[in-house]
This record gives sequence, structure tokens and C-alpha cells, in this order.
Amino acid sequence: MGLQQFSDWLASTAFSQAIQLTQWAIPAIQTVHILALALLFTAALIVALRFSGRGLAVESLHMLARRFIRVIWIALVVLAGSGILLIVAEPHRTISNPVFYTKMVLLAIATLTTLWLSAVARHQHERVSGLHRAGAALTMLLWIGIMFAGRFIAYYDAY
Amino acid sequence: MNFLEWLQATALAVSVGETWFPWVEAAHVVFLAAVAGTIFMVDARLMGFASRNLRVSYLAQHMLPWTWVAFSGAVITGTLMFMANAASYATKAPFLIKMGLLLGAGLNMLYFHLVTYRGVAGWDVGKPPGAARTAGAISMLCWIGVIAFGRWIGFV
Repeated sequence: MGLQQFSDWLASTAFSQAIQLTQWAIPAIQTVHILALALLFTAALIVALRFSGRGLAVESLHMLARRFIRVIWIALVVLAGSGILLIVAEPHRTISNPVFYTKMVLLAIATLTTLWLSAVARHQHERVSGLHRAGAALTMLLWIGIMFAGRFIAYYDAY
Repeated sequence: MNFLEWLQATALAVSVGETWFPWVEAAHVVFLAAVAGTIFMVDARLMGFASRNLRVSYLAQHMLPWTWVAFSGAVITGTLMFMANAASYATKAPFLIKMGLLLGAGLNMLYFHLVTYRGVAGWDVGKPPGAARTAGAISMLCWIGVIAFGRWIGFV
């Protein structure tokens, strides 16, 4: 089964049909998706600012990173759940769309750099180097790139 | 020709409509994520849900400058998108509701800063009073609404 047939099959399932036929479902799911990415982006910003030596400094880097990176993981679960619903509802929009795969590659990289920053915060305590700061800045750029790619999925013309 | 028709016929509006709309829209998403996210962090503290180890004033001082920078970006990108289709947006219910909710969020913030926040020294640590918790809840609801109706604009 090719991607096209898979998309056709997915779009024909009862669950996909139910979402498609509920007029408010897609904007509602997208709203949840945006709310979760707002929390993720802000938590990532707080972590990146702390790595750069600015920002909230009442608690240790370790404690701050633990608290806010947990927000990132929880938001990612909500984003994955709402994202999967959006794919099921409109498979043709994503499954054969190179912009969607670009977004997934960026997401995989951002997840890895976040895991790395989390480990750095756990082991290095306050001794962050230029490399760690660059990693935090790169992670912010990746999240911005992911949001751009997400919006551009809607504009990719398959023809 | 009325003002909105003139606005969407300007060279800037035409260029956004023909070429730049997806870029402006994507940038709007990034800015609004930062606006809503930073506001939610402060609202959650005001409601007593999160960051209880931080002083309210300290968290606000660190978050709100970012909120304003991002809000400026969201207003600029939002205005550009509006210009591209001004006459049509101005009649869409979700757009008008979104503007109403933005106004509501602004008035709530104004009252909070001018009245409730003056006494912050008394509740900077620990649980904020009812007025502050209410302001946090109203703010969060307004912004969730702004995002929901904002997304809905694209579907009508």
C-alpha cells in the first residue's frame, strides 16, 4: 500500500469521517494544538534564557530546567495527540506533503537537543559553556522553524 | 470607496495578499505563542497553580517584557494580514469576537495593574487574593478565546 492509498484508506475510516463531518472539530483541535505550542515555546524560552545567564534565577539551573522541561514534554504529548487527530481528519494534507516531513525532522532534532539540555542541566549545574548556550539558542530556532513548517503545511500545493 | 477598500488596495496590502501571507501568518503564530505562553505562566501563578516558589512581582517582571515584544510582533503581523483582506475580515463574526476578547483581556489587565497589583507587596509570596486569582482566570479565558476565534477566522 503506497502513501496515496494509505491516505485514501485513512480518510475513509469512520473516525476520520466523523471529524470531517463535525464542522467545528478541526478548528477546535487546531486551537488545542496552538495552546500546547504556546506553553512549549514559552517553557523553552525560559530554559534558553536561563542557559544564556538571564531570566529567572531564583532557583538552580537544575531545578528550573527540570520544572520547565517537564512542561515541554507534557505539551509535546498534547501536540502529538492533537497532531495525529489532524492527520487522521485530513490525511491528504500531510501524508504526501514534504513540508510535513521537514517539520517531523526538525521536531526530532529539537527533541534530541532538548534531551541534551536536560542532561546538561542535571550534570553541569551552573557550569554552562558557550556550547550549551549555543545549543539552547539552536533549540529556540528549531521550535520557530517547526511552527513555520506547521503553518506552511497548509500552503504546500501538491500539484 | 471606503477606508477598508482603500486599505486593501494599497501596495503593501496587495503584496501581502499575493506573496507574503503564509510568511506573515507563520510569524503571527510564533508571536502569539510567546504572548499567550508568557501570559499563561503569570496567570497560573496568579491563580496559585504554578511557580508558587517565585514571587508574583519577580515572575511578572521577567515574563511581561517578552509578552510586550511578542505582542508588538503579533499586532504588526496581524495588521498586515487584516490589510490583505480588510473589507472581508471586518464583517466576519469570529474576527469581531476575537477583537472583543482582546479588548476584554486589555481592560482586565488595566484594572489588575491599576488596582489589584498595587497591593502586591502583601501577597507577593504565597496565595494571591481573590481579586488576583479572578484576574488570572479572566485573562486565561480571554486568551484561549482569542486563539480559538483567531483560528476560526481562517474557516469562514
